[in-house]
Amino acid sequence: METSEWDLIRKCQQGEVAAYEELAAKYYRRVFMVILGMVHHRDDAMDVAQETFYRAFKNIKRFKGGSNFYTWLYRIAVNLAIDFQRRQKRGSVDLKENMDDVVVETETLGSDPYREVSDRRLGEKLIGAIAELTPDHKAVIVMRAVEGLSYKEIGRIMGCSEGTIMSRLHYARKKLQEKLGSDL
Amino acid sequence: MRSHEEIKSSLGAWLDGELAAAEAAEIQLHVQGCASCLGEKARLEKLESSLKNVLETEASQIAFEPFWAGVRRRIAEEKSWRARGLDWARDFLTLPRLAWAIPVAALVIWFGVFSSWDWPFNSTNQAAVESIDGHGYNVALLREAKTKTAVIWVFDNQESEDDSATTPAAAESAF
Repeated sequence: METSEWDLIRKCQQGEVAAYEELAAKYYRRVFMVILGMVHHRDDAMDVAQETFYRAFKNIKRFKGGSNFYTWLYRIAVNLAIDFQRRQKRGSVDLKENMDDVVVETETLGSDPYREVSDRRLGEKLIGAIAELTPDHKAVIVMRAVEGLSYKEIGRIMGCSEGTIMSRLHYARKKLQEKLGSDL
Repeated sequence: MRSHEEIKSSLGAWLDGELAAAEAAEIQLHVQGCASCLGEKARLEKLESSLKNVLETEASQIAFEPFWAGVRRRIAEEKSWRARGLDWARDFLTLPRLAWAIPVAALVIWFGVFSSWDWPFNSTNQAAVESIDGHGYNVALLREAKTKTAVIWVFDNQESEDDSATTPAAAESAF
């Protein structure tokens, strides 16, 4: 772990909110992306991400530095996102409405019209397909795609073996490929 | 030598760099000469890059200030809850409020000891009177051994009004 990051963590453990603000600024987008990939709805993802950082601050004295800070943070995030999904079980209507903004934004940034339309369709189908996975399968595919975390790191976050992670990833990819078909 | 299907099912782990060197070399050799596996590799790469792209696009729209404001509000609420708890504990545990607790605790302990333990002298009836100084009350404890009945009686300390009566009522060992 970087010295400066560890210094910040030590300050947070002494209750310095300003130090925690620096840590949050560094990680909030990455944590938000993982959570959004799991809960799909922007407002829900925002709420879960804020709760993640709040819980992390509340429990930061328990962080002893045995693992990376982001691994510890992701564990909180993933557990909260899984709990949230089990509680809410939102339908795909919210998801589609929400993600329409994203694909439109992607479209305006592009320069190749064919590719823009293709990407937009793929984005819609991809998010719809992920929504149909179980929370555990969503978690592994999102952490791998977004963060490129190793199976060992994902296993540490999810509290299971590398073999289980490999198996879940294989299943999740297969399901997504089936759903997306010729769009890939 | 692994079959085509076995290699195809390991492509994801291979792309993730999670296979042993020998296994990875075998898969790489196979993929170079297999159009089907080459296509599968491209689909897997597109799948992950598309997912990352969609989520990154969305996350890039989230500004830090409103995000942090929400976190800070939760932290502040937690602090005020704690502060409220501390205030309550401080008020509750101050000396004047604890005055009632001392005689009650003493009585409860005394009653617990004498009622549940099988002391040798438990076979006799007992009576005791204690005064609660500063509150104008006396507490009497009457215990009958045969029926194992105990009576706690709180009553006005009439003598406390009288300056001549400075000593508490004497305890009696039997009645």
